[in-house]
Amino acid sequence: MGIIFDVQRAALHDGPGLRTVVFLKGCPLCCVWCHNPESYSFHPQVSLNIERCRLCGACADACLWQAHIVSVGRHVINYELCDACGACIDACNYQALQIFGQQTTVDELMPEILADLDFYRASGGGVTFSGGEPMAQLYFTLALLKRCQDEGVHTCLDTSCYAPQDAFTRVLPYVDLFLIDYKATGSELHKQLTGVPNQTILSNLEYLYQENARIILRCPLVPGLNDQPDHLQAIAQLGIKYPNLQGIELMPYHNMGSGKRSRIGLPDHLSGLKTTSPDVIENWLTQIRQYGYDAIRVG
Amino acid sequence: MPETADLSMELRFTEAYRRHYHAPIAIREAMCLREQFPSVLTAIQPGDLLAGRIQWGLVGFSPHNNPPESGYGYYCDERKIIRALEKSSVPFDQRERGFDMLHFWKKETSQALVEAAFDDRMKPYLFRDELEPLPFNYKPMVAQPIYRMAGVFVNYTKLLNLGIPGLVEELQSHQKAALDNGQDASLYEGMLIALQVFADSCQYYARHAQELADHAAEPAAKAGLQQISICLQNISCQPPETFREALQMSWLYTLMCGTLEMGRMDVYLGDFYVRDLERGILTKDDALALMRSLWRLINDQFREVDGRVIIGGRGRPNEANADRFALLAMETARTYGRAILPQLTLRFYKGMNPLLMEKATELIGEGHTYPLLYNDDVLIPSVQFAHDVPLEDAEQYVPLGCGEIVIDHMGFGTPSGALNMLKALEITLHNGRDPITGKQMGLQTGEFHDFRSFDDLWEAYKEQLRLFIEVLADHEELEYVITGKTAPYLFLSMLYDDCLPRNLGIFDGGVRYLGGSLESYGNVNAADSLTAIRQLVYDEKRFTPEQMLQALHANFEGFEHERRMMLDCPKYGNDDPDADGMLVELHNFLCNTIRDQRQRTNLHWYLDVIINNSQNTTLARWVGASADGRKAGMPMANANTPSGGSDKKGVTALLNSVVKPSPAIHAGAVQNIRFGRDLFTNQREKFDAILGTYFDKGGCQLMVTVINRGDLERALEQPEAYRDLFVRVGGFSARFVDLPRDVQVEILSRTTY
Repeated sequence: MGIIFDVQRAALHDGPGLRTVVFLKGCPLCCVWCHNPESYSFHPQVSLNIERCRLCGACADACLWQAHIVSVGRHVINYELCDACGACIDACNYQALQIFGQQTTVDELMPEILADLDFYRASGGGVTFSGGEPMAQLYFTLALLKRCQDEGVHTCLDTSCYAPQDAFTRVLPYVDLFLIDYKATGSELHKQLTGVPNQTILSNLEYLYQENARIILRCPLVPGLNDQPDHLQAIAQLGIKYPNLQGIELMPYHNMGSGKRSRIGLPDHLSGLKTTSPDVIENWLTQIRQYGYDAIRVG
Repeated sequence: MPETADLSMELRFTEAYRRHYHAPIAIREAMCLREQFPSVLTAIQPGDLLAGRIQWGLVGFSPHNNPPESGYGYYCDERKIIRALEKSSVPFDQRERGFDMLHFWKKETSQALVEAAFDDRMKPYLFRDELEPLPFNYKPMVAQPIYRMAGVFVNYTKLLNLGIPGLVEELQSHQKAALDNGQDASLYEGMLIALQVFADSCQYYARHAQELADHAAEPAAKAGLQQISICLQNISCQPPETFREALQMSWLYTLMCGTLEMGRMDVYLGDFYVRDLERGILTKDDALALMRSLWRLINDQFREVDGRVIIGGRGRPNEANADRFALLAMETARTYGRAILPQLTLRFYKGMNPLLMEKATELIGEGHTYPLLYNDDVLIPSVQFAHDVPLEDAEQYVPLGCGEIVIDHMGFGTPSGALNMLKALEITLHNGRDPITGKQMGLQTGEFHDFRSFDDLWEAYKEQLRLFIEVLADHEELEYVITGKTAPYLFLSMLYDDCLPRNLGIFDGGVRYLGGSLESYGNVNAADSLTAIRQLVYDEKRFTPEQMLQALHANFEGFEHERRMMLDCPKYGNDDPDADGMLVELHNFLCNTIRDQRQRTNLHWYLDVIINNSQNTTLARWVGASADGRKAGMPMANANTPSGGSDKKGVTALLNSVVKPSPAIHAGAVQNIRFGRDLFTNQREKFDAILGTYFDKGGCQLMVTVINRGDLERALEQPEAYRDLFVRVGGFSARFVDLPRDVQVEILSRTTY
């Protein structure tokens, strides 16, 4: 049993080929730029898209906990009261409300994963477990990975690497490719931007690399937050230190997730930050190459 | 100033018809053709490298409804004639004779003859008494007759190999044999006259081009026109020898025989093309220029649902040459620029020259909607079974206009009826009554609340459908019988297999296979509505039948919540077993019932087609709100494609759904699909994998559109219809329509094509 918040089929950018991405819900990190903020919590959450709300009040009527406050020109959810029972979602006629977080099982998920097997085989694709942090639901993730391996489905694990090393020891045999985030250089800054220090992450990366895991390093870069020269240099140095990586990809900040935070009652502190311009990306690439790592690419 | 109209050709045509009223029908037709051509042929336009433009008369003869909405065969465009007469824009001496002509054709057009022959079973359902000349599809009918002989694919190879002299020789030998055996030889005599009309028309254009050349100031234009003139002079008296002559001859014959299809062009032009290249008398650029001129003519002359140029596939005698021509045709489409026509159609199979598919993908990736892709490995065995023809004939399958499959110059099968599946469901829920007009439109199979179970409803729906299918099948047969008695369609019969040896016109027993098809619309909405009714009314008992009808009658006003529940029911196109299962069940019943009509009629095949055109919109105008959540009058889903935006699971799920209904029991189904541009520019191998897997899994056809800026703009306006649009970014989970509006606008501002 685990909790997920989305399944996307025919994904193109989370590992090789055509993939089905299972987004697991819940993450021990809290990256300021996260574009899937609905993945922080391990619990189901109600999301309100205010652009669709007609302020009819049907949700407030349906809610047993009086969590919906609908008045003239205004609709907010008091998340202290909301238990994500879903009654309001059934009541809403305008698709303004949805619930993020669905309890599910391996048996329930497998048919959807296997439905695209022919497409995986033709394209060299497979399944990607992303999140959230899939390692935070270790037993669920492990069971999914095992079943996928049994069924001959190529597996990717998209992880922050923030988990105990023995957890990685357990998943290692079932993961064909790791997509590991490298988010910031210097433990202090890392903690400031993601909420956790980075020693565990670096030691897990080292561990997996030494165990000959296939790894793509993915570096989310946000202008002004983590694109300092020393971080770009550190990225280059990782590339030099780990020559057998399957690649290092930059993931320039985009603002497509910007609306999601306010919909689940989180402050939108990056609002106003624009999608990274091509010039800035080009500049990053140049710097990293100057630091001695030529194979850098944009994800 | 009122516009002027000259009815002299129409009057001469009518006079010829009346004068030969009792003559053999072949002679009557030939005499009419002699009045029609070259009168309706119009001037060569600046830039044309080929001669051949046409302005059909207001009275005339053509298999396909030329001009639109005026019927077929012997047709009379009443509306336009009346308008011309009322506005007094015709010469004075033609007015009196004009009214006389109008009255004469009222009972005498091919369409009027068919309508007069309706039997009692057809009359109440085909609305014989209320047929209006106005666009027929504005009427809330379940079953609609269609009047035209569409999908003419003459034997161009024979035409070009024999030329006029060869054809004359062949006709004369048949004529002699018939006379020697004491048979009626009027068919051959009529054909010989028709061929002479064709030769005269070539010479007419040769003279016209020469006159234009004489007056041309610019040397290049003068030389070009002289070339056109010589070319036409040559083909008027000898078989074509060059690519240019072959192209010119096939185009002019296409126009005059009245077809709107160009057939397997690589089969009949490949050898001419390669031979000229090898002889050094033609460069690739010359050929491209000629082809672009043809493209322009097709766009000027044909309507959007017609104009097929077919390339590729099995059953091409000289495949290497045909492939080279196929590449030329695709290059023509690429360099001509985006155009509605021709509907370039690529047939392909495993083992075909890979350059063709590569070139096709290149075009699609550049944003062209052509070529349409047809999978021979699935379709040939399907046609063999569905149409009941041997393998070598199935290999000669050709999709006409909107996608109905017939057999090149051997098998004719015009779609002569449309069935509105969603309207049929609507009347089934009302005991056969149409809730909009209040008229009884079908059988009394019981009120909705009388059905004790979903199966009761399902049986009632099938009973209604069977009635309309039978009526439409009988109508198709009747149309052929009357048409066959009326005219032999000389230009068709002389180039359709088996007509000459049988001494019979194409629709009078001459053609090897005479089949037909029925166009069904709203299949997907009907299936999704049934899924919703089964789930909400019978399985979960969320509403009673009365409550369901109340919501539908109110067009969901005040029933938003009920509508939400209907919309949330599973929908076809998401690889969902319930929704897809319903569609497959409906598909099987529909296609098999239609296919079985060959046992009730003399049709060699009678098959459903699930195709693409505007009727999913026009027929839907008179269908009330439906249980799939669709509002009253709104369009139905196009062809076999999920209703707008209801495929939410991405392209792989969509394609998994699409391959579920069997392709072997109908005469063509059309799949539309759209992809983001990113997939082509950066992820080409993934695009190839998607297409390859779809076709391997049994996909028969695909029409690919690359999403462009316009689509994204429309997605901003109507997000509901674009739920399948995904924003593809690594690790990010969202659909375009779920993004905040300002972000949508920003994405749009960044996407430039």
